[in-house]
Amino acid sequence: MLKAIQRFFRERNSAETARKRLGVVLMHDRLDISPDLLEALKNDIIEVLSRYMEIDRNSIRVDFEEGKEYTALVSNVQVKRVYRNVAAT
Amino acid sequence: MAGRTIVVTSGKGGVGKTTTVANLGTALAKKGYSVVMIDADIGLRNLDVVMGLENRIVYNLVDIVEGKCRTEQAMIRDRKLKTLHIIPAAQTREKDAVKPEQMKALCGELAQEHDFVLIDCPAGIERGFKNAVAGAQQALVVTTPEVSAIRDADRVIGLLEANLLKDIHLIINRLNVKMVKKGDMMSTADIVSLLSVPLIGVVPESEEVVVSTNRGVPLVHERGSRAGAAFQKIAARLNGENVPFDDDQDGGFLSRVKRIFGG
Repeated sequence: MLKAIQRFFRERNSAETARKRLGVVLMHDRLDISPDLLEALKNDIIEVLSRYMEIDRNSIRVDFEEGKEYTALVSNVQVKRVYRNVAAT
Repeated sequence: MAGRTIVVTSGKGGVGKTTTVANLGTALAKKGYSVVMIDADIGLRNLDVVMGLENRIVYNLVDIVEGKCRTEQAMIRDRKLKTLHIIPAAQTREKDAVKPEQMKALCGELAQEHDFVLIDCPAGIERGFKNAVAGAQQALVVTTPEVSAIRDADRVIGLLEANLLKDIHLIINRLNVKMVKKGDMMSTADIVSLLSVPLIGVVPESEEVVVSTNRGVPLVHERGSRAGAAFQKIAARLNGENVPFDDDQDGGFLSRVKRIFGG
């Protein structure tokens, strides 16, 4: 029953689905970023952050957000603990 | 006289490039302008059949480029309009029979003597595309409201900009107002915001197009054809006329209000 309702709502607005999917596809096409490159970028971010704090490596997410006049790279990562006296060492 | 050279392109095949070229060329010639349409789709020519001129071909684009005939010898005059001509593509040659510099030279030559040179670009983004784009100052990108066509249009826009061709306008073809209203087709506003290129016209989906290509007579000759009227508006805008966009094709809010109040 729930599935039928979900399907009903999903199929009602396929234009909205198309618009959202295309938005993501075009952004990736324009940036020309492959999944491999994105993975490499994630690993580099993890490496740099790990020098200063303990992070949850599995929590990292990297997304691109399209604003009206800019594209932003947004990275979210869970910080477990910040190391003390990093600057001194 | 310095005419304008305009390429009609899309990336994806089958979205209506040839139909667009045939109708815009015819509409501009009807306004009294001298127009040459070049079929740059070497090996897969079609502009001749859409225009109903397939029986008159003697020479073609490759013959001009190879010096086998003078440019005027390959230009076929339209059956109705004296100032409208097509240069057909070669059907049995490869795309590399023409070089971008040769297309550039030909377009330059034609623009000296005609008001508009319209180039029908082949699908794809390879050699044929590069040839078709080489001689153009302006580009019209045709898309339909489908994800695949829009994605390819975006790619083509990027390539055009990389080729320093920045005068780009968008034509949305085969818009189905009923489907847009139902929420099952992306609207004009959706597509324009995704591609961020200025819109020059919207052509409604119409069975008339099939009939017109069956006959080999462009729709703009047909009185009362909605798609034909849409092409006429695009031709007028190309000509610098200020033709307002009614949001009718979009099933927009404004047109409904106007209809209620008899506006």
